[in-house]
Amino acid sequence: MNIVLRQISKSFHGRPVLENLDLKVAPGEFHVLLGPSGGGKTTMVSVIAGLTKPDSGSVLINDRDVSLLPPGKRKIGLVFQDCAIFPHLDVFDNIAYGLRVRKQGEANIRQKLKYYLEKTGLEKEKHKFPHQLSGGQKQRTALLRTLVTEPEVLLLDEPMSSLDILTREQISAELVNIQRKTGLTTIYVTHNQAEAFSLGDRISVLHNGKIEQIETPEELFYHPKTEFVARFVGINNILKAKVAATSRREAVMEITNEGLSQSFKLKVKNYPVFKKGEAINLCLHPEKINLSKKNAAIDGGLNRICGKIIKRTNHGNTFKVTVDIRGLALHAVIPKFLFNFQVYEEVWVVFAPDALHPLCGRRCRAPEFSRKCHNDLLTY
Amino acid sequence: MRDILFNLIISLLSGIFMCLIVLPLVALFTTTSWSELAGQFKSPLIVSAVIISFQTSLAVLLAALVFGLPVAYLLAMKNFPGKEILDTLIDLPICMPPLVAGLGLLILLGGESKFGVFLNSRGVDLIFSKPGIVMAQLFVAGPFLIKSSRQAFEAVNKNVTQASRCLGASEFHTFRKVLLPLARNGIYAGMIMTWARALGEFGATSMVAGCIPGRTETMTQAIFGYAMSGEMGSSIAIALLLIVFSFTSLLVFKSRIRKQLPGA
Repeated sequence: MNIVLRQISKSFHGRPVLENLDLKVAPGEFHVLLGPSGGGKTTMVSVIAGLTKPDSGSVLINDRDVSLLPPGKRKIGLVFQDCAIFPHLDVFDNIAYGLRVRKQGEANIRQKLKYYLEKTGLEKEKHKFPHQLSGGQKQRTALLRTLVTEPEVLLLDEPMSSLDILTREQISAELVNIQRKTGLTTIYVTHNQAEAFSLGDRISVLHNGKIEQIETPEELFYHPKTEFVARFVGINNILKAKVAATSRREAVMEITNEGLSQSFKLKVKNYPVFKKGEAINLCLHPEKINLSKKNAAIDGGLNRICGKIIKRTNHGNTFKVTVDIRGLALHAVIPKFLFNFQVYEEVWVVFAPDALHPLCGRRCRAPEFSRKCHNDLLTY
Repeated sequence: MRDILFNLIISLLSGIFMCLIVLPLVALFTTTSWSELAGQFKSPLIVSAVIISFQTSLAVLLAALVFGLPVAYLLAMKNFPGKEILDTLIDLPICMPPLVAGLGLLILLGGESKFGVFLNSRGVDLIFSKPGIVMAQLFVAGPFLIKSSRQAFEAVNKNVTQASRCLGASEFHTFRKVLLPLARNGIYAGMIMTWARALGEFGATSMVAGCIPGRTETMTQAIFGYAMSGEMGSSIAIALLLIVFSFTSLLVFKSRIRKQLPGA
């Protein structure tokens, strides 16, 4: 079942929360709505579910305009951030609620629930009340309560945000498994980019009520369209550049970020959008940066800039390192086994020309030969 | 040291307030004997006052549930123009002197208003009658149920009711199966307050129904009437009965709340 949103707008007390929003989710797709808190994600899901009436626009599910239908008639399943399981009912009655509303026979309900409860490991907990359950059990109950009603579309509003990492990974895996098996069109809301990349077939990045970019996780990460998207997916190195020169394969960019004591030049793979003399924003992936103690010419094509390490934070198997380059803070993610530097030590920041790319999304994707070149460099 | 002083002051002030509540009750209980009390309850006028009070206050409770719960639901769950005004109107009888309420009802239901004339022309006379008492008590006591139920409805997690709607339940089904069970403690509290307020109502009832012994005289009116005519024994007997009923019902309610499941 496909989901189509056409020109959806919604304001609360005069403040626009969704603005002329368009979205198409393909049948069987696992679509992730990613964005910061207050970006309009929950409102969007609420509009699709029929819990919030949009000011304008329409919602189509399986090409059927459901804009005027109440939530119960839309054949959607919605799982809330706080689970929203009924506190006065035990696990069994919670899961059976939707089936009883549909007036399915009690014998049928028992048989159906026996199968599902055994499959999800909730059989032993079926007579427990919500306050006696763990976070994971509550979320499983909420998910099961929705799935047993066999919805055509599944909406999940930050369902894992209150769970510990292990339970989150476990339930995520179960969820993906169920979604792949049933082919249920799913919209999953999260502010966690790692979760979005691991779950989504496609990701929509929502910011201030507008979709900034819709892409596959791979494309979104390597070709963010805007500075917001780049920063939100974890690429903090945004370089304001001016195209100094272009050749067939490469371009020379003059970096002019605010706060730079002296501008410097970088070699970048040539993109079709580069026009000599024009200003453009570039994005430099932190994981594509290497640090070196010597200014040794490892490869003639690599960019090398001298800077000083000003900060190092521990991220498990990597360090996030901030290097000051003439007043510009560049962030690098370095595997621990490759990091043998001290904070305030002078280092050479080394990266390949194709570690940088313009912020313009898929339309200015690197030519094929450039990406091949980049892959070769990654092995270096 | 400061904490000890603070706790001492708190305890002292609380003690003074508790004395204000307990001492009049002790005075009532110590000025009569059980045998004297038993004798008072043989009086048909006292029995009639007790019966009328219970009949009317229970009718008020029923009417408040039937008409008040929908108002509470509207105020808690819906947004509509004039909501603030409706909310303030509901609060008004709580702040207003009951005598003013009684006067208003007397004019409305009596022969001086078009509505009163209309009722009289159809043979409905609410003045100096038990239905008149119910109307007066409902006016004064009904808002307690509405306020308490509204707060209870609002306290229910909105996602829970929305989950019910998404699972296919109608608004009525959600109200019956989710909202009512989850708001029941607040509704019970409102019921107790409404019933107790109706039972103890004096001013509005006196204006609308008068104090006709054996016909429209309620317990509170009888207490006043007997006390004014110097029959303190009868007055105290009814007062003690009122206290015992109010105390017992509050105690039963509180113990019931304690037995509720956490989260429910």
